[in-house]
Amino acid sequence: MTGTVLVVGGGPAGLRAAVDLADFGARVLLVEKRDQLGGAPVRWKYRSLAPDFTPTEEVMGPLIGFCESSPMVEVHKGSVVEGCEGSVGDFTVKVRNEADGTTTEHRVSSVIVATGFEHFDASVDPRYAYGRAPNVIGINELEAMLKEGRVVGHDGRPPKRVAFIFCVGSRDRSTNPWCCTVCCGVSIKQAIEMKQTLGDVQVYMIYMDIRTVGLWEKLYWDSMEKYGINYIRGRVGEVYYTGEKLLVKGEDTLVRGPFEVLFDMVVLAVGIEPGPGTKQAAGVLGLKLNEYGFIAPRQPNVHVDSGRDGIFLAGTCIAPMSIEETLSEGSAAAMQAAKVLKKTVAV
Amino acid sequence: MAAEERKKEEKGRFIAERRYVDDQRIVEPEKLEAGGVDMSGRWGTLVLPRTIEEFDHSLFEGVKRLPRGGKVGKCWQCGNCTAVCPVAHANPMFNPRYLIHIVRMGYQAEIEKVKDYVYLCSGCGLCSAACPKDVDPQGVMIALSIAFKSGRAKGGR
Repeated sequence: MTGTVLVVGGGPAGLRAAVDLADFGARVLLVEKRDQLGGAPVRWKYRSLAPDFTPTEEVMGPLIGFCESSPMVEVHKGSVVEGCEGSVGDFTVKVRNEADGTTTEHRVSSVIVATGFEHFDASVDPRYAYGRAPNVIGINELEAMLKEGRVVGHDGRPPKRVAFIFCVGSRDRSTNPWCCTVCCGVSIKQAIEMKQTLGDVQVYMIYMDIRTVGLWEKLYWDSMEKYGINYIRGRVGEVYYTGEKLLVKGEDTLVRGPFEVLFDMVVLAVGIEPGPGTKQAAGVLGLKLNEYGFIAPRQPNVHVDSGRDGIFLAGTCIAPMSIEETLSEGSAAAMQAAKVLKKTVAV
Repeated sequence: MAAEERKKEEKGRFIAERRYVDDQRIVEPEKLEAGGVDMSGRWGTLVLPRTIEEFDHSLFEGVKRLPRGGKVGKCWQCGNCTAVCPVAHANPMFNPRYLIHIVRMGYQAEIEKVKDYVYLCSGCGLCSAACPKDVDPQGVMIALSIAFKSGRAKGGR
């Protein structure tokens, strides 16, 4: 019997689970595929988090700092889980370091899968000219620009007119049919930050529906009432680079009016999709994927339960969700692992 | 006045299926000259596409500064105002929700088409009672009528 829990994925959910378990007195084996802890918020240099513009460091910093320094947490960066044998209370897992190719074996009591998501790659959908035209960027890339405080086009000049296109790679049969749940709020947060950073900029949100759920609705109201951000209901059919500006073709469905308007910058609200890490982990751990490629819990209303005893789920590897939900799911999964520990070893 | 009426009636009269084209989109130069030669005639008639090519918020900004127009920026186009408007139920050309949006975005051709209907507003105030965003559409209709009258609807595209 062992007092260690394996956490796969060093993003918000995995870190939260690791911190909770270590605080509880359990040893944690934290395996992260990349060379850096923090997951998407750190990798893509998120400036702040919706809905209250909390600096990302304020949320992620303490979690990363704890895991990097705690003697209870053994961090394996640049590593993946390659094998998993045994059953609840006593699994034997193989962890391979991708840099030097060495494999180590560990005995763990339970496993928490928190492999996260990838931002949708907009070059897959040719409508938006992403990857072909300059000044067409994703919300993930805009975050780093906002963080630097320097929002500019390819010529180094700040844009005067910016369009945000919602639901790119979301709610679309040709790409991903699901709603990513957070990109409305994140895009609006960024539009406000862009106004604050640049001042003299016209921002247009081209949306199909605004889904700022729960308390995120305040972002939507503020963006309109305090920052004068414009909303156009419709979906963009084509983005065309004229050699100087971006011609955005769409329809303002509130007036039955097709429009072709020039913009300096187009920001694509790229959605959330399961990444290769999720597929790999599911394969190794024998977990079922749903029709979309997310890990399918035993039943969809109980996210933590993977359907395999002793293996628990947390965060965006199950479904798109906000960072606050992800952090709570990390804690919830840690609780399940703690229950297993209580049954098998005294902690 | 009579001459002006007649001119409006004659506008684009050579266009096939004329009734499908808005007056605002027909350009008909009275005199056309090319290389010193008088080319006036019906071939000078041009029908502009109805594509929106520019957003122009200058009129909208003006409305915001007028009495009772100040809250127009809060509108999110839900249509509660139009739903309860007794005039809108009788005349489709008067639609407070629509008026606010075309002014916000500066859709000039649309403004030209419907701006005179703003005076149909009876001032009953049902819209302002129904508005979930506290836009005060009844007040906005008054502000719009002033803005249209003072010629602020002109300019831009």
